[in-house]
Amino acid sequence: MSLLLALPLVVLAQQQGIAARLDGRVPATVAAVAESLGTAARARGLPIDPLIQKAIEGGAKGVPAERVSAALRLVVAQLDTAAAGLRAADVTPDTLAIAAGAFAITAGLNGGDVASIARSTSRADAALVVGLRVAGTLAALGVPPQQSADLVSATLASGRPATDLLALPGRVQAEMARGVPAAQAAAGLARAAAAAAAQGRHGPPPGRGQPPSHPTPPQHP
Amino acid sequence: MPPETGAADGEIVRAVLAGDRERYAELVERYRDRYARYAARMLGSADAAEDAVQDAFVRAFDQLAQCKEPDKFVGWFFLILRNRCFAERRRSKSSASLEAAEGVAAADRTDGHTESNERRRALQLALLELTPDQREVFVLKHVEGLSYVEIAERLSTSVPSLKMRMHRAYDRLREQLREHA
Amino acid sequence: MSGREFHPLVKQLLDGDITLAELPAELRAEGEEALALVGAVDRAPVSVPRVTWRVMAQLERRRQTRRMLPWLLAPALALAAALVLFLRPAAPPTNPSLVTVRFVLSAPDARAVSLAGTFNQWDSHATPLVRTGVSGVWTATVSLPPGQHQYVFVVDGVRWVPDPAAPAVDDGFGRRNSVLTL
Repeated sequence: MSLLLALPLVVLAQQQGIAARLDGRVPATVAAVAESLGTAARARGLPIDPLIQKAIEGGAKGVPAERVSAALRLVVAQLDTAAAGLRAADVTPDTLAIAAGAFAITAGLNGGDVASIARSTSRADAALVVGLRVAGTLAALGVPPQQSADLVSATLASGRPATDLLALPGRVQAEMARGVPAAQAAAGLARAAAAAAAQGRHGPPPGRGQPPSHPTPPQHP
Repeated sequence: MPPETGAADGEIVRAVLAGDRERYAELVERYRDRYARYAARMLGSADAAEDAVQDAFVRAFDQLAQCKEPDKFVGWFFLILRNRCFAERRRSKSSASLEAAEGVAAADRTDGHTESNERRRALQLALLELTPDQREVFVLKHVEGLSYVEIAERLSTSVPSLKMRMHRAYDRLREQLREHA
Repeated sequence: MSGREFHPLVKQLLDGDITLAELPAELRAEGEEALALVGAVDRAPVSVPRVTWRVMAQLERRRQTRRMLPWLLAPALALAAALVLFLRPAAPPTNPSLVTVRFVLSAPDARAVSLAGTFNQWDSHATPLVRTGVSGVWTATVSLPPGQHQYVFVVDGVRWVPDPAAPAVDDGFGRRNSVLTL
């Protein structure tokens, strides 16, 4: 499954050189830095799509070349950290998992958090990729990074499907809209996930029942 | 004379419940300013009033299916806003209220009558020292211009109990204003 | 009378039950004081024009969240197919493996709003938002593949602003990108 997911991006990247993908979108100096960083990154098994995306983003936003180059180096560092975190959990990382881990690191998690999430599934599968993305999204909502990792780990460990993971940010946001702090909302969900894992229950989580016929809260502030 | 444009409240409520959500904006447009003044005098700040009116409209939308008499939407909405204002006042501290009152009294008034501005400001500060029940009856009668009978209908209470509240409010206001004179 | 409380007749005066002329002469001064007190009440209208679009934008944002739920209940197996579709932008938007997302921004003073993000190569012209009937609310409905997307709104072609209703991360250039994880 993970190979299948990774394949199209890798193929695309290989078919088109980095400089060719950036042609006309970024200054030549930025394209050269991206080419150099990307070639080395690819040799280390890292995905280069995040690098290309960041270069394009910098060009579109009119960011000075020097600053884009610095951002590209940061992206590579985050990819390396994510890959190291995954390897620390004995996961052979694929490019999608590394990119997802790098996003989580951008959002505030560290390599240890990535490793702990990876350990909760023990294999590089689609659920791990989704878990890393969700952990980053939770941190981006204001949930403390380690708590984001814990919540995702608990949900992964409970054996629930990836759709449950994807619902977590929305559920935290709904609680926040009611005035509950992000950390507290995440803690409540983590307790529920841990209890479900302990009891081996796989029933629907709270708030996942049939929606009412007419809109009701969550209320946004 | 009824306004030429605009459907009856009940018609809009039924359309929104049937899925035409955009029409809810008509109700918001119709009543937001009318009730913002009540909220501003209750809360002591135009900003707080804006938030309260917004929250009340969102809450009313959420509970619209429970509006038993769509033709009386506005009376039902008023009770939601009232609850919101009372809850807000319980949360705020008096020092914050005083600052807010300065804002509401000073910000919107530029007619140059310094003395009457000063009296207006002093009264608004004194109003914030009343209990919410007392302040509300004062605001509804003397700001909104409702009669005791109308207020009693809105709040599902009796005229004598409203008068009792109001008379206490008069005395407390006099006391407050003398202390600060 | 203590001097702190109004005489009952003065209270009747304030209630509008009697007039100043009907007060006994010795209560006239107190009556005038009471009328001046009530007369100082601020009856100035309060206008809150922003409330309409703020309310409608809030309702829109929540609808966006709810619209995503049906997909979220669908099997995660959709992931593989969706990424392939990502490389084929011509895929019909009705394809069930794409997620229909409605972006909403309240910008009453804007002349134009568009969406730039990882899903359109950060092209600020590619995905314009349309002003809805409700004043100041701009929306765009976009079909996106499952995955992690980052985006910002571009207001009047010059201001790049994150979505106030979405989580956000540093963009590496000193600003913030909004995050959407599907």
